[in-house]
Amino acid sequence: MEVYEVFRRSGHKEPFEHCGAVIAPDPQMALLMAKECFLRRREGEHLWVVRRNDVHSFSDETLLEIAADKSYRFASAYRDVVKKREKARARAEELARA
Amino acid sequence: MNDSLIALLTALGDDELVIGHRHSEWTGHAPHIEEDVAFSSIAQDEIGHAAAYYGLIAQITNDDLDRLALGRRPDEYRHTILCERPNGDWAYTLARHWLYDSADALRLEALEGTAHNDLAAVVVKLRREERYHMLHAATWMSRIARGPVEGRSRLIDSIATAFPEALGLFESIDLEEEAVKEGWLPVPSDELRARFAAHAAAGLEELGLPAEVVPPSDQSAEFVASSSGDLIEHNGDGTSGNEIQPSGLGGRRGHHSPDFDELWDEMTLTYRENPGATW
Repeated sequence: MEVYEVFRRSGHKEPFEHCGAVIAPDPQMALLMAKECFLRRREGEHLWVVRRNDVHSFSDETLLEIAADKSYRFASAYRDVVKKREKARARAEELARA
Repeated sequence: MNDSLIALLTALGDDELVIGHRHSEWTGHAPHIEEDVAFSSIAQDEIGHAAAYYGLIAQITNDDLDRLALGRRPDEYRHTILCERPNGDWAYTLARHWLYDSADALRLEALEGTAHNDLAAVVVKLRREERYHMLHAATWMSRIARGPVEGRSRLIDSIATAFPEALGLFESIDLEEEAVKEGWLPVPSDELRARFAAHAAAGLEELGLPAEVVPPSDQSAEFVASSSGDLIEHNGDGTSGNEIQPSGLGGRRGHHSPDFDELWDEMTLTYRENPGATW
């Protein structure tokens, strides 16, 4: 018997999301178990099972931490650009009038 | 005493800025889209590290970060020649990435013991990111090293070119003696270079790649012409014939190759249009 991770999708445009795990001897049986355990109340329309041993993760998850300032990767770091553009436009108009 | 600290921070920051700029040239051109994003992200990290070092300089001199990064003349930059070399193919980029980040890991390890507390704090942060950069480089290297033949042979050629120049990362910095005496640089460059040469050679052997490499003679010859006497000084110090001789020296004294003129021109173009503009 092996552990299978179960993913389901609630609609055509939704992503598959992890919803739990089942224990089964093979993928076909895992699908049957997963259907009964995780899709019996119309929680979704599509189902995946993946052998847990086929799921990979970093052995050292501290590698995933973001150490330094990454504000430049967020749109929020550029909010003042709008104000600057307005200021520049006003200055340009002023210059055009003068 | 601040001068030697600034000299150290300038060398560190310039290495990161210039290699970060070269890495960023892969944006839109990397072998596949996921790697394009991954390598661009690493490029941004390196430029972020440069900003961290320049920030420490700015604390002392009240200078502006953009001016430090983009408002200097080419001969005021103190990065090593390796960092300014064009990307060439993916194999060269990868070989340089692996060598540079191996060297940077050793350098940062040593710098954790610096007498400058703010630098020590920055180094702890950067080491966490550099661990990931090293993993990225090593993962790629081990795959290309195993073949097929074309990738493997391109990688071997690239290491032959880049390894001797990577030793230039440990050319002594301006005011090195003072920086060591003050404790800013806890391990002298000569010692770091020896550590790096041994570490990188062992790493290459582990990857099944030849570590005993000879740089193509035309490249080093090209550099001798534009260098000061530094290269001769290093070649003439009686080191054994088996040792890999550094090439591409002079960067730490501001003697750069023509490759840097072209890079500098592009990198600083926007800044020079309107120096002092706020972004």
